[in-house]
Amino acid sequence: MRTFLLKGAATALTMCTTVASALFVTSHLKNPAAPLQPPVLTAANSSSNAAVGGTLTVGPSVQPSNAEPMTSTYAS
Amino acid sequence: MRPDASVESHHFEALGTSCSLFAVGQPHGRLLEGEAWVRRLGARLTRFSEDSELSRLNRAAGDWAPISDEMDEILHAALRAHAMSAGLVNVAVLPAMLAVGYTRPLIEGPGVATLESLRPLLPLPDVLELRDGEARVQAGCGVDLGGIGKGWMADRLSETLGPNVVVNLGGDLRARGAGPRGDGWPVGLGGATLLLRNQGAATSSTRRRRWGEDGRGETPPHLWGGGPKGRRGGSLHHLIDPRTGSPARTGLEEVSVVAANGFEAEVVAKTALLLGPDLAPAYCAAHAMAWWLSGTHDD
Repeated sequence: MRTFLLKGAATALTMCTTVASALFVTSHLKNPAAPLQPPVLTAANSSSNAAVGGTLTVGPSVQPSNAEPMTSTYAS
Repeated sequence: MRPDASVESHHFEALGTSCSLFAVGQPHGRLLEGEAWVRRLGARLTRFSEDSELSRLNRAAGDWAPISDEMDEILHAALRAHAMSAGLVNVAVLPAMLAVGYTRPLIEGPGVATLESLRPLLPLPDVLELRDGEARVQAGCGVDLGGIGKGWMADRLSETLGPNVVVNLGGDLRARGAGPRGDGWPVGLGGATLLLRNQGAATSSTRRRRWGEDGRGETPPHLWGGGPKGRRGGSLHHLIDPRTGSPARTGLEEVSVVAANGFEAEVVAKTALLLGPDLAPAYCAAHAMAWWLSGTHDD
């Protein structure tokens, strides 16, 4: 009798766990619109600014400044 | 941040463009020595002089030719650039340059284009072979070092000029050290000022050096900046797309980047421009530290 009760309890526990897992998974479907974590194409600290004629993006390893440039990169 | 340190500067014309040297803690004579180095090496690397080391290599046409240590380093760098760019940066571009009429310095005016001879470029490793002190360029092909040479030279000169310097060779530049105030060298890029420390910057553009197919319509040098539309001077320009062998038309007209050094900046800028507006942002995000992308306005 005791063995029968133990088997019944184990079976019931297994079935309850399976049903609970199925309910949890179906209620947490993947959101295809979710953003990539971590972001890939835009570094966390980078900033993009659309200026006249183009777009400037500055990553975290470069510091912008309000100072006048001493020299510039340009097409030659 | 430190108070401004005194900056020595020196400006000169060489390599067919304007060059500037800046240094903290160096005498002016050191910058003059830097100019002399640029002129000496530039005279060996130009394709516009029959006597240059590069012209001799191109003329060897399939035979092994002796090369200097500097040429050996630059040609190895060119092979790295080809690999880094998946073939989009290819210095074996000389036949295409000649076919579009870029036969002499544009200050003298372009030659007549022979566009029917344009064809996709061969992969650089198939064209250029290197061994100890010698190089071989496949017959019928030719090398034009262009911006790769300037970026490489800016890197090398910055290493010998001093610990706190900027070398700008026609827009291909290398900033070394912490700059005059200790927070980096202020460098203009895309209309903004960025503080560079031990980094390089370069610009690739199709807005300058344009001309017409008949050899006329060359944009006068003082107008090479073009206007916002940047379309003065004709339909041909100097930036060849190796996939077609023709002047590039990708939807981007100008790309400026900051990268680890001047050579890498040049490679990344040119590759991004050739990739076009759809792929360039992701490419720059992976290879550059800052970037400016400017598209075609009137195509």
